Amino acid sequence: MGLMWKLLRKNVSRAQLVGFAVANLIGLSIVILAIQFYTDVKPVFNDEESFISKDFLIISKSVTTAGAIMGNSGAFTDAEVADLERQPWCRRVGRFVSSEYSTLAAMGVSQNNRRAMRTQFFFESIPSEFIDIDPDEWEFDPENPEVPVIVSRDYLSLYNFGFAAAQGLPRVSEGQAGNLPMSFTLSGNGHSDVMPGRIVGFSNRLNTIIVPEQFMRWSNDRYGDGRPQQPLRVALEVSRPGDVKIDEYMKEHNYEIAGDKMSSSKAYYFMTIIISIVIIVGVIISLLSFFVLMLSIYLLLQKNTRKLQDLLLLGYSPAQVSKPYRLMVISINATVLLVAILLMIVARVYYMDTLSQLGTKGGSLLPAIIVAVVIMAAITIGNLLAIRRKVAALWLHKS
Amino acid sequence: MNEITLHNTLPAIFAGRDDTPSDVWLTELAFERGHHYLITAESGTGKSSLCSYLFGYRIDYSGTISFDGKDIRSLSIADWCRIRSSEIAYLPQDMRLFNELTTLENIRLKNDMTGFKSDAQIDRMLEQLGIADKRDTLVSRLSIGQQQRVAIVRTLCQPASFILLDEPVSHLDVANNRILADLVTAEAKAQGAAIIATSVGNNVAITVDRHLAL
Repeated sequence: MGLMWKLLRKNVSRAQLVGFAVANLIGLSIVILAIQFYTDVKPVFNDEESFISKDFLIISKSVTTAGAIMGNSGAFTDAEVADLERQPWCRRVGRFVSSEYSTLAAMGVSQNNRRAMRTQFFFESIPSEFIDIDPDEWEFDPENPEVPVIVSRDYLSLYNFGFAAAQGLPRVSEGQAGNLPMSFTLSGNGHSDVMPGRIVGFSNRLNTIIVPEQFMRWSNDRYGDGRPQQPLRVALEVSRPGDVKIDEYMKEHNYEIAGDKMSSSKAYYFMTIIISIVIIVGVIISLLSFFVLMLSIYLLLQKNTRKLQDLLLLGYSPAQVSKPYRLMVISINATVLLVAILLMIVARVYYMDTLSQLGTKGGSLLPAIIVAVVIMAAITIGNLLAIRRKVAALWLHKS
Repeated sequence: MNEITLHNTLPAIFAGRDDTPSDVWLTELAFERGHHYLITAESGTGKSSLCSYLFGYRIDYSGTISFDGKDIRSLSIADWCRIRSSEIAYLPQDMRLFNELTTLENIRLKNDMTGFKSDAQIDRMLEQLGIADKRDTLVSRLSIGQQQRVAIVRTLCQPASFILLDEPVSHLDVANNRILADLVTAEAKAQGAAIIATSVGNNVAITVDRHLAL
């Protein structure tokens, strides 16, 4: 091996190999850094509690003046829900169910048997998988009735920063709100009952007052008038948030998306596109560098044709003769792989400083590393096959 | 390997020239282990072609060449690697030494693979051929005659049933021709191998059993 390397290294072009290594290092680093960045940023968009939770949309029909005058219900028909479910970007549809009876809520410490604050109230329910929090006591027992509710976090803000500030009332924390004494008076269908209630959580996603589905069924049975009800709003889980097709579909059907979820979804969509472009650029650089190495190997084998043939005449096998070149390619590629992963990890330390301020711990290193290994393995296999083919072609001499 | 046979063999470039009388081409011929053959020929009559066919790096011929009855066209690369390192020892006419290596490195490149000769045996052969003082000299610095002697030592660094020498003495003086003949004959005897030598003139000092004109 030592003598053979001494013989075969003669025409190895250092400049070409360094050129390949640097080009491939740049290409590979770009690809895996983009993938790592995507993995790290994704939780910011995906986390249930994250400020830009992306994949749930709540839609309703636009309330138009004409529709209001005509007494248009604005509810989603079964056909419309089925059509939503058929859309390729739609994973699940959850129907909101509204309470069909009158509700009076009383809150605050009771004075002379009257709560401090009384207001007309309403409830909605939705399948629990659409709720972004998972409270402990999300159950209702008719034998021992207490109504757990989840309210929009916006409501608490509205109270704290609007109402309380204006009225000179004390602000309420989320914990205090949970301990706030509440009672609900439910009436309709010849019944009227008072039962205690409790705020068990605050939702970022659902801009309403949510009760367990179980309670909703029981209460609509007991106090409602039994009319079949169509949902006024539906929640969607979408697979490609920010997809322009979603926007087009909503416009076409006159549906409104609650809140500004689509703008963060669009940001996510554009980020995905930009990262894809970056990855493609990296892959192209890697591919070009691959061809540089191929060319370099071809030239090297060409220049060493005579020596390689002489070694074969001595009785060395093509595998033995090509071993120095194979080892050279494997060691260069392995070095590029390790350095690229190292660069990626160092770069990640810098951007994670910024990302952690957005409240994410980042994703796993595994996807980027797997991609790096797969790309380098593919390049290495390509190189090794080329060497094998070239050396095999030297077996027979031209007459 | 005991026998190399040629059946109606003719280099492709000679196709159509079947009127030329030859002891080798377009005939039945067998080289047997233990015998010595000398093939003499004019330049350009296919001497080196014959060697390249027997060593498997050219196949531009018609007819059949067999090793122990097996058509050599059917041999695999692995078969040929085994034959080249342990059945046929070949000295090419142009020697094919590596100029960037020294005398000893050239020899070791072969002997490291076969492990056939000891360092002492190699030294003795170099001494016999009068090039022991050149063992660490780059081959490119040697005269053609000296290179031919290095090449013969390298050729003998392997087990062999046939020793195939393409113009082994073209650059040697009478004394060295004699020494080479002794060396090769002794090696062939020790291994029971055949010697097939080619020459443009009948000047090889090896005693031969059969003389063939190409």
